[in-house]
Amino acid sequence: MSQLPDAYFPSYHASSTTSAREEKNTLSLTRPRYDLSLQTFCPPGRVHELFSDLQYSLLFSSVHFPTGPATPPPPRRPPAMPLPTMTHSSSFLLPSPPADPADAVSYAVVVLNQRLPRFAPLVWTRAELRVCADGGANRVFDGMPDLLPGEDPDEIRERYKPDAIKGDMDSIRPEVKEYYSNLGAKIIDESHDQDTTDLHKCISFITTNPPDPDNSNLCILVLGALGGRFDHEMGNINVLYHFSSIRIVLLSDDSSIFLLPKAHSHEIRVDPSIEGPHCGLIPMGAPSSSTTTTGLRWNLDNTSMSYGGLVSTSNIVDEEKVTVTSDSDLIWTISLRKHA
Amino acid sequence: MPELLPGEDPDEIRERYKPDAIKGDMDSIRPEVKEYYSNLGAKIIDESHDQDTTDLHKCISFITTNPPDPDNSNLCILVLGALGGRFDHEMGNINVLYHFSSIRIVLLSDDSSIFLLPKAHSHEIRVDPSIEGPHCGLIPMGAPSSSTTTTGLRWNLDNTSMSYGGLVSTSNIVDEEKVTVTSDSDLIWTISLRKHA
Repeated sequence: MSQLPDAYFPSYHASSTTSAREEKNTLSLTRPRYDLSLQTFCPPGRVHELFSDLQYSLLFSSVHFPTGPATPPPPRRPPAMPLPTMTHSSSFLLPSPPADPADAVSYAVVVLNQRLPRFAPLVWTRAELRVCADGGANRVFDGMPDLLPGEDPDEIRERYKPDAIKGDMDSIRPEVKEYYSNLGAKIIDESHDQDTTDLHKCISFITTNPPDPDNSNLCILVLGALGGRFDHEMGNINVLYHFSSIRIVLLSDDSSIFLLPKAHSHEIRVDPSIEGPHCGLIPMGAPSSSTTTTGLRWNLDNTSMSYGGLVSTSNIVDEEKVTVTSDSDLIWTISLRKHA
Repeated sequence: MPELLPGEDPDEIRERYKPDAIKGDMDSIRPEVKEYYSNLGAKIIDESHDQDTTDLHKCISFITTNPPDPDNSNLCILVLGALGGRFDHEMGNINVLYHFSSIRIVLLSDDSSIFLLPKAHSHEIRVDPSIEGPHCGLIPMGAPSSSTTTTGLRWNLDNTSMSYGGLVSTSNIVDEEKVTVTSDSDLIWTISLRKHA
């Protein structure tokens, strides 16, 4: 194999470690900038094989180039390629939505079978698509009127009506199922599928029926995924890994958590009126050799993290913009402020 | 404690359920509570200078240096309040299980019991169906596992690999009163606790 000039190697690697990853990739991490220069040297058709998924860095080693000139051009070190940036914001928790059409995000909400957090009505209102996972429908039916005392319960139930109820249907009360069905909610019985969690099924439903097909800026907010049965909580977090290219935020009264996929430069905008200061970065699922942050009280600087070693918890957000870059997928968590 | 034991005199209950030690930053304990237990003889250990370890870590350290029965190496530490609540706290608490992997530590909540299954051991978990189960799980929390084998579960693993992004065994079911687990990686075992009427 002829030696490739340095110019053809990107300065970073992004490799998919599991094959179970959701391939639908809405992020900007598609092709590195060097594909055009390779096309002039590669036989036609080769380039598509190289860049079909995130494993392109591994494939470079197997590319065969036609023998080049006798004296290869002097190696040119390309400038370090910046990682694609992902920005995160919790503006969906603000009392009124930010008036910034450029940033317009299309929200969907999933309600799992746990007591609703106090901001459930706000988040529900912000969402364009609302899905209940089985017993989550009971929680909406019982819980929304409780969170909006002083209003007529029947009016509230009609207003806070799910678009779809999906799952085993073994927890939803018959009268709740009938009530929402009569109001037009789609009832999707998935009791035959024992291989995926209720949350997984709901995320799949939303990705195949997005609230705004023209807006690729989808963010799925999940209520009831944390706390409760520990295995459920862990299974729900695994769903974030399975759908790593989709923004999914798990919310409880105390915390907000979401995945920071590796090999991205993450910018997390923190609004101190609704969240913080307590935060953490969790190397869930695999150790991280190198994580670097800014904006935290105890920043990481090319620091490694792992269970059994350092896990960044009880950290503090010191600035309104936090940045995180890591070689490994991390779970970001921030505390939510309780309002009087 | 008085709320969980209604019908008894609260003052008697508080005297009976007296901690031996109170350890930590001391920034959450109410002054009157600290004074009350101090007067009853509880050791108050102010650790506000140590910002590097969690409260749970400090308490486990305390217990290992002051074991309840120095002649009995069969120690098991039961932890209440480590799960739920702030997510970073929960994750930090689970990391304490990894740091003290040679000590039996069980994290308990109303819904679940969890503990570490250190790798390269053959684990036998006795399950009492009157108090726990049937829902259970095996979680490759800190690192993927190339090979885990189990018996006694509805969906047993057979040299199966597990990882976040791949398979994590959750919503499994305990089918027998003895469950065995062997793995090349540390795993977190979790089982649901039964709620009694």
